[in-house]
Amino acid sequence: MGDIVVSETMQKYFDLMEGVLHNEIEIANRARSQGKDPKPETEIPLAKDLADRVENLIGVEGVAGRIRELETDLSREEAALALGKDIAAGNVGNFDTKREAIESAIRVAIAMLTEGVVAAPIEGIDRVDLGKNDDGTEYIKIYYAGPIRSAGGTAQALSVLVGDYVRRGIGVDRYKPRKEEVERYVEEILLYRQIATLQYMPSEDEIRLIVDNCPICIDGEPTEQEEVEGYRNLDRIETNRVRGGMALVLAEGLALKAPKVQKHVNKLKIDGWEWLDTFISGGSSDEEDKDEKTKVKPKDKYMRDLIAGRPVFSHPSRPGGFRLRYGRSRNTSFAASGINPAGMVIMDNFIVAGTQLKIERPGKAAGMAPVDSIEGPTVRLYNGDVLRIDDEKTAIELHSQVETIIDIGEILINYGDFLENNHPLIPASYCVEWWAQEYLKKTGRIAPENPNQHEVMDICNNYNLPLHPDYTYTWHDIEREEFVKLADFIAKNGIKEDQGNRLLLPEGKAKEQGIKTILEKLLVLHRIYDSKIAIDNPLPFINCLGLGEDLKKQWEELPCEDILGCVIRLSGWTVREKAPMRIGARMGRPEKANRRKMSPAPHVLFPIGESGGNTRMLSSAASYKANNNSKVGEIKIEIGNRICPSCGMETHEFRCECGTHTIPKLFCPRCGRAVNKDICPKCKAATSCVTAHNINFKTVYDRAFERLGERNKLESFKGVKRMMSKHMTPEPLEKGILRAKHDLFTFKDGTVRYDMSDLPLTHIRADELGTTAEKLLEMGYETDIHGNKLERDDQVVTLKVQDLVVSRGAAEYILQTTKYIDDLLVKYYGLEPYYKAETIEDIIGVMLIGLAPHTSAGVLGRLVGFTKSSVGYAHPFFHAAKRRNCDGDEDCVMLLMDGLINFSHEYLPDKRGGKMDAPLVLTTRIDPSEVDKEAHNIDVCSSYPLEFYETTLNYTNPKELEETMDLVSSRLGTPAQFDGFMFTHDTSDIAAGPVKSAYKTLGSMVEKMDAQLSLAEKIRAVDVADVAERVLVSHFLPDLFGNLRAFSRQGMRCVKCGGKFRRAPLTGTCPHCGGRVILTVHEGAVKKYLEVSLKVAKKYNVSSYTQQRIELIGYDIESLFKNDKSKQMGLADYM
Amino acid sequence: MQEMSLLSDLLEAGYQVSPQAAELITSHNNPRALINHILGSVDDSVFVIDVEDIDFTGFEEVREAEIPCKESVANTNSANPISVLCDITDCSTCVGEYMEFVQYFRNRYSRLSEMIRGRVNARPMESLKGNRRVPGDEISIIGMVSEIKNTSNGHRLVRFEDPTGSFQVLFSMNDKDIYEQSNKLVLDDVVGVSGNLTNDGKLLIAKKLVFPDLPNMGLSKNGSQGKALFISDVHIGSNTFLQEQWEDFMTFVKRQSENPELNKIAQQLRYIVVAGDIVDGVGIYPGQEEELTIPDIYDQYEEVAHYFNQIPSDITVVIGPGNHDAVRQAEPQPTFPERIRKMFDPRIKFVGNPALVDLDGVLVLMYHGRSIDDFVASIQGLSYSEPEKAMLEMVKRRHLSPTYGSRVSIAPEKTDHFVIDHIPDILHCGHVHTVGVKQYRGTLLINSGTWQDQTEFQKRVNVVPEPARVPVVDLATFQPTMLQF
Repeated sequence: MGDIVVSETMQKYFDLMEGVLHNEIEIANRARSQGKDPKPETEIPLAKDLADRVENLIGVEGVAGRIRELETDLSREEAALALGKDIAAGNVGNFDTKREAIESAIRVAIAMLTEGVVAAPIEGIDRVDLGKNDDGTEYIKIYYAGPIRSAGGTAQALSVLVGDYVRRGIGVDRYKPRKEEVERYVEEILLYRQIATLQYMPSEDEIRLIVDNCPICIDGEPTEQEEVEGYRNLDRIETNRVRGGMALVLAEGLALKAPKVQKHVNKLKIDGWEWLDTFISGGSSDEEDKDEKTKVKPKDKYMRDLIAGRPVFSHPSRPGGFRLRYGRSRNTSFAASGINPAGMVIMDNFIVAGTQLKIERPGKAAGMAPVDSIEGPTVRLYNGDVLRIDDEKTAIELHSQVETIIDIGEILINYGDFLENNHPLIPASYCVEWWAQEYLKKTGRIAPENPNQHEVMDICNNYNLPLHPDYTYTWHDIEREEFVKLADFIAKNGIKEDQGNRLLLPEGKAKEQGIKTILEKLLVLHRIYDSKIAIDNPLPFINCLGLGEDLKKQWEELPCEDILGCVIRLSGWTVREKAPMRIGARMGRPEKANRRKMSPAPHVLFPIGESGGNTRMLSSAASYKANNNSKVGEIKIEIGNRICPSCGMETHEFRCECGTHTIPKLFCPRCGRAVNKDICPKCKAATSCVTAHNINFKTVYDRAFERLGERNKLESFKGVKRMMSKHMTPEPLEKGILRAKHDLFTFKDGTVRYDMSDLPLTHIRADELGTTAEKLLEMGYETDIHGNKLERDDQVVTLKVQDLVVSRGAAEYILQTTKYIDDLLVKYYGLEPYYKAETIEDIIGVMLIGLAPHTSAGVLGRLVGFTKSSVGYAHPFFHAAKRRNCDGDEDCVMLLMDGLINFSHEYLPDKRGGKMDAPLVLTTRIDPSEVDKEAHNIDVCSSYPLEFYETTLNYTNPKELEETMDLVSSRLGTPAQFDGFMFTHDTSDIAAGPVKSAYKTLGSMVEKMDAQLSLAEKIRAVDVADVAERVLVSHFLPDLFGNLRAFSRQGMRCVKCGGKFRRAPLTGTCPHCGGRVILTVHEGAVKKYLEVSLKVAKKYNVSSYTQQRIELIGYDIESLFKNDKSKQMGLADYM
Repeated sequence: MQEMSLLSDLLEAGYQVSPQAAELITSHNNPRALINHILGSVDDSVFVIDVEDIDFTGFEEVREAEIPCKESVANTNSANPISVLCDITDCSTCVGEYMEFVQYFRNRYSRLSEMIRGRVNARPMESLKGNRRVPGDEISIIGMVSEIKNTSNGHRLVRFEDPTGSFQVLFSMNDKDIYEQSNKLVLDDVVGVSGNLTNDGKLLIAKKLVFPDLPNMGLSKNGSQGKALFISDVHIGSNTFLQEQWEDFMTFVKRQSENPELNKIAQQLRYIVVAGDIVDGVGIYPGQEEELTIPDIYDQYEEVAHYFNQIPSDITVVIGPGNHDAVRQAEPQPTFPERIRKMFDPRIKFVGNPALVDLDGVLVLMYHGRSIDDFVASIQGLSYSEPEKAMLEMVKRRHLSPTYGSRVSIAPEKTDHFVIDHIPDILHCGHVHTVGVKQYRGTLLINSGTWQDQTEFQKRVNVVPEPARVPVVDLATFQPTMLQF
């Protein structure tokens, strides 16, 4: 492993970062050494590399060293398997029992496979146990839990293989399932599929094959409320509830990743896995593969589960949908794609930077980024003009005049995304880059930019080069009859004007005979003047139609079947396809940039029980009186007790009045004895320091203000009802006071965070980030991408891997956090302020931690600038280090100092998933070899070679071009892994386009849906009736059915104490407190979508099956909520 | 207003009433009778009447509104008369408010506890709190099960509730007998429990468990004559509907069978009773459209009507809905809408679910049987292959569907239509697609199977249907015969 290979400048950069890091750790430790926190030192260990992270995460000593040894000549996966065996055999680590050794072996192997970042190895496996086969032998059961999802399919599948591998090493037999157990798996996985989503659903026979043959018993904790109905109460399966972790590992792991498992089985030569052959060869997936090779078919998978308010932009592969442009901009790739900001505006502002789109191909989803160097949408205005809009300003001007969106423009997707998704390359649309390279190859000269129509024709005639893309129309979209009709019409009615620079056609006639529609289908731009259709620069078009200069038709019969062929024959030129494939898309989820708040959002993790009421206001707790006789501010809470080791005083605070740091006072809950160990030596029960007792909160409260020297003028200051952590250690109240003062909220681990959608960024310009070249120079930037000295704000610079660009909202919040930290340092710890920032410009350069959900390893980052978009832009390696790609996911940043000072394990919830989403370790330096492998498939060249475009025409597998393209993977281990990245398409502003998605600005669901349908009506590539039906079937109907069911089976709730009841109590009032009890599901919730569903179903004439379903549910609701007796009294009864 | 006028009797008699007691009284089924009872039984020392002062012992509620919705429509066909005694159709009062849920359960409690009261000398739970009794005293309560837990030592801890409060009862593992009886308890059952209080007075150790149950009657019954035939779960419209067998069955009903034995039975047929799911419906489960041969709900009913209208006119047909039919899902379900009823011959009688009908002197309680799912899931030893055992549990607790909040959707009607007040001669269910017949204390329990082959869903959950089997009952002797088509 060793050090990361870097250039000199990068070395300087890393040194600079680490210098600041260590300085901040020192300050944090100085603060914490005062004993005013759970531990007297910072609790985030640093990890230089993967080996460190794995060891820190799992806590088996000696693992890091062994990993470094193994990785020198084994691949990651092989090393993980080998390490697992080592641990199980007892060569590494120290374990009391065989079971513990196996468990650790499996956990460590998963940790390695997931780069030591995600929480799966700690949270995804509940435990490992030994079971008994019917023949008396033992077998291994692995109990998977829900968070195993975060490991991904490959690691899930390999964890089973690790289990098998170590089992052999220590002589445990294989699992021999009983028949009813096999069937239980079948039933349970099918049931799980109904409740949750599975990426892959194995067939029933596939499940049987896996369970029958898998040598390890894949067991799991019950994760869902639902129970199986058929195979219940089995001896060896402890629960009747659905085990989500089990279903995931079996379906998304073993079934989906069978080929990967087989690869390792073959390499390791393990027997007993031969059944994988039948699995891989026998599956139906094979046929699909074959299909895909020969031809790419429209896929409508992305259209499933359409949600109201999230529009469809194009049906699968339909003319008018996104035209594919191959390439990479500095803010795309890594599952993020670009579209023109004009398109964002024209499509009613639903797409903005960071919005997730579900796309037809190559992957499932993509984050969206503005790229203004590609083509925007082509629209027809109400006045009949058809034009393409390429810039945002025009788009805003014309937006209200758009009648139809004929074509939604180009989408920029890079080659790397096809490679990553293993999707065959689809034929490239003919574009300028391609044409220019053909020109260069043929003539040896650089292609002219924007040649006029005469030049274009000359080039065609003289060099036999394909027709320039600007004059290439979507010939493949029209029918033969339409072609003939169009040619005839122009021959008869066309008038050339202005020396052939304009072609005029009579508007009325053209509309009548459908000629205008044909022009629109071809994307021939035109304007309407004096009842005439005017086409500019029409000469190449006229020639393509086979008309002479005098507009006389030069042919009688069409020479061949396909239209493009005809165009080629008639014009005598080579003409390429303008848009051979369209890419369908719909909106996934909107972009996000918001402060992380728990709900309800506390300022401090301090428990006040019921005394703060439902709002958990600390001020009400301080003035609480349990009854007339009790003291003001005396409240009863569950809290962790601590004891002072020097004077023996008991308190909940971290520092005794005598100044000593206190420690938890543990006792055994069973025998009541005070023991200073985690396990009671007598009865082996887990000890605890939690007791419920009265404290005088008013004193605690007042004293905290006093100590800080703050006056209590907080408008809102909230705590929690109850701590969720094991020892129920509360935070110092002082921290909350300062947070409330700066309007900050805390998360479950004591840190302040801001969430943002991820987007990639490889190059920046100072002027778009709200910063200056000068500032960048200070931060270690030296040259622009061309190697010139950095002097001006508009020079394009390669972004350093750990530098982040955050949304303005995030910057404001971080600024507040720096003020809070400074206050904390000065007023609570009595140290010097550190940041001293006043404006957001002042915080450029502060150190941050990036942390993704479901992971437990933070990555060190540095703030380099802001953007008005609601996204977090960072280097793809930075996202990959957090194990994210940019397909619309979001994660958070926090201030490094905040994490160092305020994070503590003591606050983390003591439940499944509690350790997720907490910075258990911090990666200080990004090694591109150790980030998620997906990032290795990013191409970083400045243009795609001609060969690339030509091969796409044959639906080539992208793997075949791996050598030709400049990929990150080929640069690993050299200094070039950080430097010299390029991009093919620039964008003038990474924050272009609307700021907020219409989905977020529109109010009610009905409003959103109306907007969705009105956009659907505008876009040619969208079938609005189908959209309406899908929304009804996948969103409104399930909602109606679900709520109706829920109404008739609902639980009740007490408004006073919040008590919950499965059914209405016979006493009518709350049995605990006598409070009023109410329903949890109301009539309004049930009926919410009924009216709009009826309306939409009627308006868009959806299928009669769907209409009947809505009609029936309407009757159902009416019957339930209307009294038959009063129903019969109509208006007539009163007359 | 109502409240004041009710309570005025008490106030005029010189008593004050606590708000809780007032609520209890006004929400009772028959508040006037209760007030009269209180006035007669209340201790002289009491000035303010609180909940604990209301002693239900000996309160014989005069039940006026006992039968929820009584309708006595005699069929015009006098040879095979039919009258509907109990049916929700056109009597639904539910509008979806909280108090309706409370009333619904109170109604259940008061009617079921009444059945037990003669056998158990129960006291209100509120009276057990506070005033300490001698530990070891035997006391009894009648309660609705609100929670069942197993302790770490393996005992069963059940919380019971009545309109005054709640109390916990322990079924000790060491008392095998009572522990096994408590195995049968399901949530929201109303039962009587007797036992001893623990020393702290907070727990009752159960000794005796009393279910409402059917009275132990002899088998001598006054039947009628002729035969009745029971079917359910036809599922017309589904691609697994067994058309061939069904056509054979129709031939038999039309008395055109080539089998003389069958024809003989057909000649004696007077009634056909259908307990729901006559069509497969639309939108009942996800992806149903793939499994339908008739995707239109009304076409499905047209098809059913086409068959039923061929039934000879001297046979009376009664049809109730099930969970696949085009009526509200929440039970009790009213009968089919006019639009569907119109498709059928007017002599076909439609009822709700459940419904109590009188077939020339023979009482038949029809219930589709959704609750069997709950019984099978919560009582050990019950299975879909023996649906009659689940039906036995219904009559033992005199309730068709006790458990709330699980698989059965309920509509909170004023009265609990699932309570079995009138003891039927025949209880007829369907829903589970298996067949079962059993005699219990003079009541014949019938589950009538299906006309649908095993579906994909049933394959997965291990349910093997027994299609095309038809129980026929001799109305004179109540002897069932099973026909197979």
